[in-house]
Amino acid sequence: MAEDKYKEARIGVFLCHCGTNIAGTIDIDAVREYAKTIPNVVVVDNYAYMCSTPGQNKIADAIKEQNLTGIVVAACTPRLHEPTFRNATAAGGLNPFRFEMANIRDQNSWVHMHQPEEATEKAKDAVRIAVAKASLLEDLIPKSVPVEKTAMVVGGGVGGMQAALDLADAGIKTYLVEKSPTIGGRMSQLDKTFPTLDCSQCILTPKMVDVYRNKNIELLTYTEVEAVEGYIGNFDVTLRKKARGVLTPAEAEARGIVGGGCTGCGDCAEVCPVIKPNPFELGMAPRKAIYIYHPQVSPLIYTVDFDSCVKCGLCVESCGDKKAIDLDAKDELITVKVGTAILALGYDIYPIEKKFEWGYKNYDNVITSLEFERLICASGPTGGHLIRPSDGETPKRIAFVLCAGSRDNTDTGKPYCSRFCCMYSLKHAHQIIEKIPGAVPYIFYMDIRSFGKMYEEFYYRIQNEGAKFIRGRVANITEDPVTKNLHVNAEDTLLGRPIDMEVDMVVLAAAIQPSAETEKTRRLFGVSCSQDGWLLEAHPKLNPCGTTTAGVYLAGVCQGPKDIPDTVAQAEGAASAASIPIHKGEVELEPYFAVCLEDKCAGCGMCVYQCPYSALSLVEKDGRTVMHVTEAKCKGCGTCGGFCPGGAIWMQHFASPQIVAQIDAFLLGGEQ
Amino acid sequence: MAVKKDYKDQKLAEKLRDRKYYIPDSNPEFLKEVEKIGQTPAHMCYQCGTCTGSCPSAPRSSYRIRLFMRKAVLGLEEEALTDPDLWLCTTCYSCTDRCPRDLAPTDAIMAMRNLAFKRDIVPRNFLQTVQLIYKSGHGVPNNDANRAARKKLGLDEEPETTHKYPEYLPGIQKILDHYKLKENADRILAEGA
Ligand SMILES: Cc1cc2nc3c(=O)[nH]c(=O)nc-3n(C[C@H](O)[C@H](O)[C@H](O)COP(=O)(O)OP(=O)(O)OC[C@H]3O[C@@H](n4cnc5c(N)ncnc54)[C@H](O)[C@@H]3O)c2cc1C
Ligand code: SF4
Ligand code: SF4
Ligand code: SF4
Ligand code: SF4
Repeated sequence: MAEDKYKEARIGVFLCHCGTNIAGTIDIDAVREYAKTIPNVVVVDNYAYMCSTPGQNKIADAIKEQNLTGIVVAACTPRLHEPTFRNATAAGGLNPFRFEMANIRDQNSWVHMHQPEEATEKAKDAVRIAVAKASLLEDLIPKSVPVEKTAMVVGGGVGGMQAALDLADAGIKTYLVEKSPTIGGRMSQLDKTFPTLDCSQCILTPKMVDVYRNKNIELLTYTEVEAVEGYIGNFDVTLRKKARGVLTPAEAEARGIVGGGCTGCGDCAEVCPVIKPNPFELGMAPRKAIYIYHPQVSPLIYTVDFDSCVKCGLCVESCGDKKAIDLDAKDELITVKVGTAILALGYDIYPIEKKFEWGYKNYDNVITSLEFERLICASGPTGGHLIRPSDGETPKRIAFVLCAGSRDNTDTGKPYCSRFCCMYSLKHAHQIIEKIPGAVPYIFYMDIRSFGKMYEEFYYRIQNEGAKFIRGRVANITEDPVTKNLHVNAEDTLLGRPIDMEVDMVVLAAAIQPSAETEKTRRLFGVSCSQDGWLLEAHPKLNPCGTTTAGVYLAGVCQGPKDIPDTVAQAEGAASAASIPIHKGEVELEPYFAVCLEDKCAGCGMCVYQCPYSALSLVEKDGRTVMHVTEAKCKGCGTCGGFCPGGAIWMQHFASPQIVAQIDAFLLGGEQ
Repeated sequence: MAVKKDYKDQKLAEKLRDRKYYIPDSNPEFLKEVEKIGQTPAHMCYQCGTCTGSCPSAPRSSYRIRLFMRKAVLGLEEEALTDPDLWLCTTCYSCTDRCPRDLAPTDAIMAMRNLAFKRDIVPRNFLQTVQLIYKSGHGVPNNDANRAARKKLGLDEEPETTHKYPEYLPGIQKILDHYKLKENADRILAEGA
């Protein structure tokens, strides 16, 4: 099907300067003159910014004037501007898939900045190769598939909650999947929030209630994602509803227990004989084997920890007629269909005991900032009285260690800035000044990063309130074995003098890291991560909520450290992005799927096993067995196309003749 | 380059000396040499002070390892190599253990000492140590007090070193001769005398 097209090919070549990004290194005039000599090329033009409106108009106009059959733009990357130039190609009246891009910026001028001559030669090669492919391109029609009008949000922290609320308010049925027994995430563990100092629970609890009440949100707590199949518009997600051992009123009713189910009265926990540390209080307070994390949980349904439950049955008795407790409960698998999904998996605290020089878990009075939040919080284990774990005394001199494990390039640290510890440590300084008369916070810092709106002003305020700032990273901490006071050793780099500061308590602003199950969950959704484990956005500037998997979006800290305002902003962005395909009702799939050339297919079926996406099958057609492609499942990876011994599989847009032409163009240097 | 000022009183002149950093005062090659000899990317130091905070010498002297890292970054060769503090590192490697940028400040200091030695800038006690090593195989040779202490602890009076096996001393001397360490130490000490 290729040869005759090749004869009539009429190609236009457009060279972009990208300001000086390309033209500063590559001799555009030389490439232009060269391009005119390439077979099939009928127009060559160049422009400062091909992506601009005048640049795009050049393409559309040339197609109409010169009756072109294919377009080559030599510029940046397809990832950045393929859609732009496809649109320009379509505007000129050509099928948009008759466009081919030559990357002469990222893969050329940027890397060969100091070798302009070689770079120019390489650009000529790139243009010639692109022309060879463009000469063989065909009209392709993207497939549209309908989009399931439901969405899923995984992770019920403030990010996930906001995303679910936005989707639900936009009229989209949304499953909110949370692995723990309640939504709220880290924010529900915080006392106050910078820079406004409003009470975290007071602003979060109403949102938690909204989520619970919203008719469009199906809240699935104590639930994990087990498997994901499908593609944008049609994901089949299998969920594991972990055995909770307690029925909601609705579940009770479904079992015919009228007026039953958990009311959150707590009679069960009262009688439960098993005592365990409460992870919500970071182990600083007890809970029973049947428990809620804290009084504001949503949903207000108790949970049995079957790992520690002794099945004494006392709770069942005390629950009485409500019959809410089922000690024989089993995990349940359910499958739901969704069009798009948002991951909002949050973060964990880095195990800062790995920095043994600071003595966390070794010295009683060295705590983490998250523990500080619980201790200073009125609803926390001490009723908001900050005390020394060693003796219950109120600390007066408190050292805050910033960048504890962050900005650290050793194998016991994280190279990135955790981004909110400067600000929350300022908040902590304020809280002790406010609560403890005569208390002095000593903040050991390298830089104070107060970049947000009203953040620098907050820094000013805390300094004015009397916090002492010492510019130096803490070298080590030692403990006085008798008083359990701590000696903080550092250099005051501004004085140029070593410090040995005796304090009553040390608070480590520990680094954060992706939450425990992020790795597993991201793999299920086919989302990449960067080197440090945070989930990878589609583009750091222009597509910060999307991922490279169509239909899957990111919100909150799982994409990288960010505070609550940034988390909520990204969540709203992700919700908006995730609602677009749903509102459109259908999505176009890139037509890069395999096509069976049935006259060549021997029906051997070998390819069926090769396909990693189970897109192929054998069918009977006109009395013969031939291979059949389920186009919506095919990702165009090319495994089958490269494999088929009979050459019976045509990979649209990456067909063998097209690729061979590119190789020839490269190896033969333009000679035919 | 510092502006020349002329005061009759030398003390006053020193006190009022221009202390600004001028680009011509810096030798960029210095940083490269320190990094090459010390095998550590000293230019990645972000001046956090963890090193000085860890340093057993710092509280007892004016020695600040962080400032030497800074001088390496800025190419302040003259200042670094002529500063007597350069010789106060105990090579305990505490700073290297803890540096969050994974640098080896100790090795940067060792590199600077090598460069200083090349220019004959070495404290006399270090040179005397060289002579002692040449003579006995030890920087701090055994003495009667030590022998008595060792005996009390149930140890041999002489340790398992060149003290007990003097036949290995020529090997050590050969190494020192190869690097002309002894020769240079003798020469510098004689010149200073
Ligand atoms: C000590 C401290 C103080 C802070 N103070 C402030 C402050 O004053 N102001 C401010 O703006 N920010 C503050 N922050 C930052 C704030 O906590 C975060 O910005 C915010 O919690 C991020 O919300 P999130 O939804 O992205 O993540 P999270 O709050 O971590 O929520 C993630 C949720 O997802 C769930 N989850 C995780 N993995 C899975 C999975 N695989 N499947 C299902 N569910 C999953 C988790 O259980 C959790 O409920 C502070 C942080 C700390 C550590
Ligand atoms: S936010 Fe501040 S304390 Fe936290 S890692 Fe960044 S600079 Fe360090
Ligand atoms: S500890 Fe490392 S990074 Fe910090 S000042 Fe010392 S050498 Fe520089
Ligand atoms: S190695 Fe030297 S500079 Fe480093 S801590 Fe020890 S004495 Fe100080
Ligand atoms: S490394 Fe050397 S200087 Fe440091 S403590 Fe050990 S023996 Fe002493």
